Amino acid sequence: MSRGLIYRVIFILVLITFAVILILPTVGEKTMKIELSENVTQQQLQRISERFSSDDFQVEQKDNAILVSGINLSDAVMNEVRIFPGVIDAKLLPHWAESAVLAKKINLGLDLQGGMHLVLQADFKQMEKKLGKTLSEKEKTELSRQALELLRNRVDKFGVSEPSIRPRGNDAIEIQLPGVKNPKSVKKAIGTTGRVEYRLGNDKYTQEANQWVKENLEGGMLPDDPAELRRLEEKIADGIGLPDNMIILFYYERDDQSNKLYPSYPIVLQKDIALAGDDINKAWVAPDEYQQLAVHFTLTPDGAAKFAEVTSEKNHGKKMAIVIDEKVRSAPVIRVQISTGQAIIQGDFTREEVHALARIIKEGALPVDLSIIEERTVGPSLGQDSIESGVKAIMVGLLGVMFFMMLYYKFSGLISDIGLIINIILMMALLSWLGFTLTLPGFAGFILTVGMAVDANVIIYERIKEELKSGKSARMAVANGFDRAFWTIFDANLTTLIAAFVLSQFGTGPIKGFAVTLFIGVLCSMFVALYITKTIFEIITSSRKIKKLSI
Amino acid sequence: MDRDKIIDFLQYRFVAIGFSLVLFVIFVSSIVSSGGINWGIDFVGGVKITAKFEQDVTIGSIREVLNKNNISGTVQQIGKEELNEYIISTKLLEKGESAEASANILTNAINSSFDNVEVLGTETVGPAIGEFLKKSAIKLFGIALLLMMFYLSFRFEVKYSFGAIVAVVHDILLSFAFCGFANIEIDIPVIAAVLTIFGYSVNDTIVIFDRIRENNQIQTKQTLFDIVNKSITQSISRTLLTSITTLFAVLALYLLGGEVISGFAAVLLFGIFIGTYSTIYIASPVVLGWEKMAAKKKKSE
Repeated sequence: MSRGLIYRVIFILVLITFAVILILPTVGEKTMKIELSENVTQQQLQRISERFSSDDFQVEQKDNAILVSGINLSDAVMNEVRIFPGVIDAKLLPHWAESAVLAKKINLGLDLQGGMHLVLQADFKQMEKKLGKTLSEKEKTELSRQALELLRNRVDKFGVSEPSIRPRGNDAIEIQLPGVKNPKSVKKAIGTTGRVEYRLGNDKYTQEANQWVKENLEGGMLPDDPAELRRLEEKIADGIGLPDNMIILFYYERDDQSNKLYPSYPIVLQKDIALAGDDINKAWVAPDEYQQLAVHFTLTPDGAAKFAEVTSEKNHGKKMAIVIDEKVRSAPVIRVQISTGQAIIQGDFTREEVHALARIIKEGALPVDLSIIEERTVGPSLGQDSIESGVKAIMVGLLGVMFFMMLYYKFSGLISDIGLIINIILMMALLSWLGFTLTLPGFAGFILTVGMAVDANVIIYERIKEELKSGKSARMAVANGFDRAFWTIFDANLTTLIAAFVLSQFGTGPIKGFAVTLFIGVLCSMFVALYITKTIFEIITSSRKIKKLSI
Repeated sequence: MDRDKIIDFLQYRFVAIGFSLVLFVIFVSSIVSSGGINWGIDFVGGVKITAKFEQDVTIGSIREVLNKNNISGTVQQIGKEELNEYIISTKLLEKGESAEASANILTNAINSSFDNVEVLGTETVGPAIGEFLKKSAIKLFGIALLLMMFYLSFRFEVKYSFGAIVAVVHDILLSFAFCGFANIEIDIPVIAAVLTIFGYSVNDTIVIFDRIRENNQIQTKQTLFDIVNKSITQSISRTLLTSITTLFAVLALYLLGGEVISGFAAVLLFGIFIGTYSTIYIASPVVLGWEKMAAKKKKSE
C-alpha cells in the first residue's frame, strides 16, 4: 500500500469512529433516573419494576431513586413513567458522548414524540379598522414581536420542555410544544388576554409565608412547575392561616443566564384590586431616572382618584405589587401620595417586555388579535407507533437492498453494502450533530436514501464491468471506472440536491425534515461511493495480484 | 445480456408518447368523473382526527354518525383491526366556517355517539393557510424547475436541458393525475413525494444524457438516433438496477411505514416507474425531435 493510501484509510477510520460516537446518544444505551416519593408503597414499586421487567432493561435501586438503563428508553417512556403513582420525577441522564464531543440525541419531531403545533395569525385588518389607519410593515413586525414575547411568557407557565415559539412571516407565529398532554388548556391560556393589575401588599403575612417556605421547603427553592406552585400556594395559605381577603402570589425574577422567569418568593396581597388596567389612560415607554426603560402612564380621572387613595398616608411604607398575568413582577414601596394621575412602573424587564407591558396597559390585551389558523396535535402513542413502523421499514428496505446487491455484484456488492452501512452511520451522525429534527417524512427520506445510495455504486460497477470487458486489468478497470463515473454521479446527484434544497425551503416542519434527510443522504452517499468504497477497491487491487474481480 | 448488441429502444417512441397520452387522459377523466382534484385538508382547510374507539366500530357505523350530523367526511381505518383506530377527516364544513368550529362539531358528534373515544391526534388547518400553502407549493415547483433548467443548460446543450425538463413535467403531471386516479389526497407529504420524483427522474435522465454526450464525442459517423440507442443500451442495466433497489426501499415504506405515509409512498412507487420510463421514452425522443427540427431549419435557410 502506498503512503497516501494508508493516510486515507486512517482518515476514514477516524471519521467512522467519530461518527459512531456521535450517534451513541441516539442508538446506544441510555440511563433514566426515576426519583421516588418518600412514602412510595411496595405495590407502586412493583408496577415500576414490572414496566421494565423485560430483558431489554437493567434496573438498579439506589436510595430514593431507581436507575433504569437500556437501549429502548425514550422521552415517551420518560413521560409515561413520570405520571406513575409514587414517582416524583423521571429524567434521562445525559450520555457520556454528549459531554465529551458535543454529541446530541437526534431530536424527534412532534409527529414522532407527540405534542402540539400551532400557527397563530395576527389580525391586522381589524386593527387597522379600529385605528383608522394603515399599519406599515415595520409596525406589523413590531406588533408580532411583542405578541410573541407575551406568548412566550404564557407558554413558560406550562413547564413544557423545550417549547419553540418563532415568527412565521411578519403576521404569524408558530408554536411547537412537545409532549403537551392537555392541548385545550394550552389553547385557552394562549388565547386569554393579558392582565395588569395593582394590588396592595401585606407585610405581616408575606413575612409569615416566607418563614413557612423556609421551614417547610427543602433549600427554600420554589418549584418551577405551575401546577405544583398552585398546590404550594394552598399549602402555605393553610399553614399560616391566611384570611379570606388576601391571596398569595409569587414574585418572579429573571435568571440572567437563561433569560427565563422563575418564581423567587411568595408575596401576600389584598384580594381587592387597587387599580386595574382600564383605570389607565395612556402608557408609553421611556427611560427612568436610572436610565432603565420603564413604563410611564397617566390615569383616567377615576383611576387618578383611586390611585391617590391607595397611595395616601395610611398606606405609606406598604408595598404596591404590579401583577402581570398573575405574576408579581415589581413591588415598590409607597412613599408619597400620587394625586397627579401620573406614575411609572419600574422593574427587572427586558426591552421587549417593557414595550409589551405598555401595550398590555394600553389595550388590556395582546397587541393584536391572534387566531389559530393551523393546529396539529399528535398523541405520544401515535408517535411511538410511527417510530416503530419507520424503523421497521428502514430495516426491511435496507436488508432487501443489501441482499440484492450481494446477489448481483457478489464480492463487490458486499463492498457497497459496507458502504451503505457507513453511509447510514454518517447520515445519522450529521443529523444529530447539526441538531436536525427527525420527522416521519424524515424517515421516508432516510429510506429513500437507502434505495438511492447504491446508485452511485451501480454506476461505477457498470463502468468497471465495461472496462473489464474491453480487456483492461482489474486495477486499470477500477481506476477508469471510478474516473469515468465521477461526473455522471456528480451531475445526477446535484439535481437531486437541487430538488431537496428547494423542498427544504418549504415552510412546514415535517417536509423540511424530509428534505434535509434527503439532502444529507445524497451528500453522504456521494462521499461514501466516490471516496470510501474507492479506497476499499484500491486496497484490494493494490495489495494482491488480482486477476479477476468479483463483480 | 450481450452487451455489444444495441437495442433499438427508440423504435417504440411514438407508441410510448401515445401511451403517455392515453394514461393521462384516463387519469384525468377519472378525476373529472369523481368530482375534481382531491385536495387534502392541508390545502383547503379542514379537520382530521385520529381516534381510538373503546367499543367495536366499523367504518360504516362512523360514517352513519357523520351523516346523521350532516358532516361530509372520510373515514379510514389504520393499524390492526382489533385496535379500533380510525382517521376521520372533513373539509371545512361550510364555507367561511372557522376550522376550529369544524373541529368542535366533529369531536362533539363522535363523542356523543360513541363511548370513551380516545383522540390520539388532531389536525386543524384554516382556509387561509391552505391557500397560502397551495401558493407556496406551486412556487416551489416553479423554482425547482428554473434551478434545474439553469444547471442543465450550464452543464449540457440546450436540447438536452429541454428534453430533461419535458420528461420531468411529464412525470409531475402524470404523478398528480395518478393521485386523482388512485384516490390519494393531495396533501403536503404528497407534494414532497412528487418533488422527489422530480429529482429522481432528472437524475435518471442525466445518467443517459451523460452517456450520449460521451458517445457523441468519440463516434462522429453514427447518427444521433443510433448514438441515443447505444447510450440507452449501455446504461439500461444501471437504470434498471437503481430502480429495483429504490423500489425495494419504497415498497418497504409502503407496506410497513404505517398509514400516515402510505399515500406518500404510493405516489413514490408510481413515480419510480414513470421516472424510469420517461427517461428512455420521453427525454431522449425529445432531444431527437429537437435535433430534427434544427436540421430542417438549417436546410431551409
